Amino acid sequence: MSKLKEKHNLKGTLICVEGIDGSGKSTQLALLRDWLKSIGQDVIFTEWNSSELISKTTKLAKKKNMLSPRTFSLLHAVDFADRLKQVIDPALKAGFIVLADRYAYTAFARDVARGVDSQWVRKVYDFAIKPDLAVYFDINPKTSMERICSNRAPKFYEAGMDLKLSNDPYESYMIFQSRVIKEYQKMVDEFGLVKIDATESIHKKQTKIRELLREVLKAKGVEI
Amino acid sequence: MEKFKKKHNYDGLLIVIEGTDGSGKSTQLELLKRSIEDQSYGVMVSEWKTSRLIAKVIDDAKDRNLLNATTYSLLYAADFADRLENTIIPALKSGFIVLLDRYYYTALARDVVRGQDIEWVKNLYEYAPEPDLIFYLDMPVDVLLKRIIGTTGLDFYESGRDVGFSTDFYKSFEIYQKKCLEEYNNMKNTYNFISIDGTKPIAEIHIIMQSEVQKILDSGVMY
Repeated sequence: MSKLKEKHNLKGTLICVEGIDGSGKSTQLALLRDWLKSIGQDVIFTEWNSSELISKTTKLAKKKNMLSPRTFSLLHAVDFADRLKQVIDPALKAGFIVLADRYAYTAFARDVARGVDSQWVRKVYDFAIKPDLAVYFDINPKTSMERICSNRAPKFYEAGMDLKLSNDPYESYMIFQSRVIKEYQKMVDEFGLVKIDATESIHKKQTKIRELLREVLKAKGVEI
Repeated sequence: MEKFKKKHNYDGLLIVIEGTDGSGKSTQLELLKRSIEDQSYGVMVSEWKTSRLIAKVIDDAKDRNLLNATTYSLLYAADFADRLENTIIPALKSGFIVLLDRYYYTALARDVVRGQDIEWVKNLYEYAPEPDLIFYLDMPVDVLLKRIIGTTGLDFYESGRDVGFSTDFYKSFEIYQKKCLEEYNNMKNTYNFISIDGTKPIAEIHIIMQSEVQKILDSGVMY
């Protein structure tokens, strides 16, 4: 059985934020981190595709558009496994609050939207630790596009251009990200993601997240 | 005819040589390649861990001892996926005879020895087409150890030093290779390996492989 469905019993607390690009999740996580630090909590931050081991290779391969969906998926799994074993797991054992900008759910959403089998990718990631709180920022693809493409065209993979859905990157982005959102929405029930409306104000969303985090920590006997 | 029916639906043939390090795979692959080429068939060879993209990362990470059992498995799986989808399957589609130095059985053996759950590893490779022939070069561990020490020497990961069986290089190597052999033995029947005694003379092994391949070629499936 996948560890993603079992409560972990490590000392620390694992929080992740999910959602498509432009959903505001990174902003929210940064605010949360600064606040937690300011009140004296031990916090560690980790983000998708950032491991020393592989992230450069993946970025290079993306630039050259040479990845098949399955290779794309496995390279991200390498990155995730490396960060999980080197960063996330030790920090949780040491009692940190670990803030993850994207988690395994990103792979489930994106890879499946690319046509990878959903059970296959879930099994690949079955070593992932279940987060104590996973927040999903729900946004429609049009708003997301307006936010991230205000000063640039969508990038090749974020627009899903590898799937040849459309020659127009903007149109391709809309189709591809709609598929990603559909996958996220399925996961709300499957993995208990907490859905937040991404179109709300920064303040409102931050208040909500802090409230959610307080509850999680309280259950672990920590008052903040 | 039925006996020679290909297990995948591609026009080409997929032939694999498996075995541990130092079992003589590359030598046999080279001989087999030549004998098939001589009969005017298109042949392509692909070796384990050679994707343009990922092979270098694996070597680099190994040099710096950066790998844990999970990243080890996943990196090899990524390398395999890249080669399979960009090289092997296109070649099979266009009717080549593809000769492979190692296939995912290598990953199954090595990853399981590193403590990974076999079902998890199988899932990583479940999309790979089943080969038409799998030759396995069976070598007793003592012969194997001598061969490797006499040629390439002991390498950190090939000695399973990352698994922590023993801090003694030789001891660790022996345990690791023995465990790999056990895994290969477990797979022999499940995957229909054609097991060949690897201590036989090179020419004799080649004749055995060649005659198996010839049966398929003569059956006419390649016309």
